[in-house]
Amino acid sequence: MKRLTSCLVLLLLFAACFSVGTLLQPQAAAWSQHGQDSVVQVLLGDGRWLLANHFFTKADVYFHSGYYPTIFDRKNPHQESHMAGHTHEAGDHDDELDFMGPPRDWIERFGRHAMITKHTHLENGQEREILPWLKIAADIDPHIVETYTVAAYWLANQLHKVPEAEQFLREGLRANPDSYEILFSLGRLYYENDHDSVRARNVWQLALRRWKDQEAAGRNPEKFGLEEISVNLARLEENERHLAKAIQYFEQAKAVSPAPQNLAQQIEDLKRQLASAPPGTQAP
Amino acid sequence: MNTVFALSGVVIKELYRRKDFYVLFVLTALITLMVGSVRFFDDDKIIRIVKEASLLLIWISALVIAVGTAARQIPAERENRTIFPLLAKPVTRAQVLLGKFAGCWFAVGLTLVVFYLFFGVVIGSREHHWPLANYFQVMWLQWSMLGIVTALVLFGSLVFAAPSSNSTICLILVIGILLLGGYLNRVAAQQPGPLGALIYGIYFVIPHLEWYDLRKFVQYDQGLVPWSYCLLATLYAALYAALLLFAAWLVFRRKALNL
Amino acid sequence: MDAILELKNLRVEFKAQAAGQDRKVAVKDLNLRVNPGEVFGFLGPNGAGKTTTMNVLLGFVNATGGDAFLFGVNVREPIARQRIGYLPELTYYYKFLTAEEILRFYAKIFGIPRAEADRRIERLLKLVELEGARRRPLKTYSKGMQQRVGLAQALINDPDLLVLDEPTSGLDPLGRMKVREIIQRLKGEGKTVFFSSHELGEVETICDRVAIINQGELKIEGSVAQLVAQHNANLEQVFLKYIGYQPAQN
Repeated sequence: MKRLTSCLVLLLLFAACFSVGTLLQPQAAAWSQHGQDSVVQVLLGDGRWLLANHFFTKADVYFHSGYYPTIFDRKNPHQESHMAGHTHEAGDHDDELDFMGPPRDWIERFGRHAMITKHTHLENGQEREILPWLKIAADIDPHIVETYTVAAYWLANQLHKVPEAEQFLREGLRANPDSYEILFSLGRLYYENDHDSVRARNVWQLALRRWKDQEAAGRNPEKFGLEEISVNLARLEENERHLAKAIQYFEQAKAVSPAPQNLAQQIEDLKRQLASAPPGTQAP
Repeated sequence: MNTVFALSGVVIKELYRRKDFYVLFVLTALITLMVGSVRFFDDDKIIRIVKEASLLLIWISALVIAVGTAARQIPAERENRTIFPLLAKPVTRAQVLLGKFAGCWFAVGLTLVVFYLFFGVVIGSREHHWPLANYFQVMWLQWSMLGIVTALVLFGSLVFAAPSSNSTICLILVIGILLLGGYLNRVAAQQPGPLGALIYGIYFVIPHLEWYDLRKFVQYDQGLVPWSYCLLATLYAALYAALLLFAAWLVFRRKALNL
Repeated sequence: MDAILELKNLRVEFKAQAAGQDRKVAVKDLNLRVNPGEVFGFLGPNGAGKTTTMNVLLGFVNATGGDAFLFGVNVREPIARQRIGYLPELTYYYKFLTAEEILRFYAKIFGIPRAEADRRIERLLKLVELEGARRRPLKTYSKGMQQRVGLAQALINDPDLLVLDEPTSGLDPLGRMKVREIIQRLKGEGKTVFFSSHELGEVETICDRVAIINQGELKIEGSVAQLVAQHNANLEQVFLKYIGYQPAQN
């Protein structure tokens, strides 16, 4: 009799749990549909920003194959991530990453054998190794824009995974609809990989609008962003032989560029071309 | 030496008849396989994160086994009163200590072999190459480091009242040295006079366990460290372990064991 | 005849438990001799100093003064214990080992060659009637079985001196009888047995000589037969007399 009672009590508890679960399930589904944070993000709280930042830095460590300063090293680690797709060699920022300095004592001298002391960058497809950390960083805190742009750069340009790059950027855009950086990266994807100038133009123009919206709202977006978008739009229009438009974008870029003389030269060239072009070839 | 080997055999038997090793191995294997099964951006060639996760788990597991096994040896002998029939034989306390140390160290060595075999199989199946010399260096130096840790914990088991407090203190000390030991000289340089001197003193006295962490070399495919470095590091570990065991013997030989 | 076990002015003092208290003297200038081939009973009430004396003999505790010798070797030397077998009162062995493994372990400590160890293990397991359970871990054994393992490990090195601390404690009558038989058989083989016990009836039956200590001091030492005849009383009454027990006046 006792065994039967125990079984019945267990069954009853199980039925109660199941019922409560079915009652709660629609609410939980609605909760996530309203764009609320996921359970993980709620659990981590504000700590997720630190964690996401840590994982983004981890990707940078992987990019440098472990050669990376710690918080105890003399110089500050580089402010800008060098995973951002600049096509420079490892030696280009040696000064900045020459954080080790000479060993202070024999213990440190001996211990250097167990440390990575060679400054390298991942290449030849090995850049894929940074992707998991970028993905994890994005999952934990979807508002770090650089996570998406860096990942998309390596996915599209080195690993030839353009659809994955586009999908990741779109995820980033859903989480950061105001981000001109993600829109710019998306535009580059369409232009450089898909060779779709129409979509690229649309997206870059949207990026430009977003930049200007941020400026108007007093959020001080980076002027470099405006320069990049404008220069790319200008080049697109130049290739399409819309020289007047190209000049307009170059002028916009020149206004914020730290090296306006280069852009000025290009503007002059375009103006000469425009002047010598047959009439009716310039679309507004 | 017969006595030392006999004692070490008992310690090894104890390890594989307890559940600790199997639980940790299964946990390591499961987490490694789980991380390995995740596809990031539909790319099945990503391997370094799997290496990092697996090597970290191996390090944690080996440390837990070394500290846990060593911390309970002598206290358990006293609590279970098995030390009395043992010392009633022609066995010196030094032999008991050496036997316990050898048993714990060999036991953890066997653990490392099993873990690294698993690591080699999993990673090799993805990378299709086996840098055996690298694996050997990582494993050898980790085993040497665990010799220092085992000796430290054995010494602690004679100083601290309970195995739990000994384990906690030793784990904190070991993890602290692994994370910060190599940087204490920089911290010392930034501190005023006496405090800086004290930190510098601690820097020179502590065993530099961070010398034995070569995981990055396997993780980032950085090749081998010089074999002379491995040899000198092994010698350092042997000397430090001997020093700690000697200190343990000095404490143990004076301890009264009452029936 | 050289004594197999000898205590010369043995003194053991322990530090005071609390500040301001005097040191506790557990054993006071104890002198004792045990001759080869005899069964010697070491008797005393609880707290008399029997266990402390045994601790010194076995090297668990260092004497504060005086000396103790086994086979003419000072007990501070581990080699003094090469030819003794010890059975503690509370028998605890490695629970994860089997009886066979424990015996093999102790045989290795004594440096007994493998073939000889195998032969002795077979014989001892038969003697203590544990052949059927030889491959089971000790944690599955009853108290009586653990006591028998204890006896087997005490005999693994074929000792010339057996030190037994309350050997029949906790055993049923059958178990006690078997232990008595083993002790008598060992005596017949010329071995020496030194044991402490509260079972004075057993002591009277099997011991050749006894020593009675109380409060760390030796009260009397002599042959059982002589003591019983001298006082015209059984050993228990002799014991009570020498420990100063006064029966309540009716």
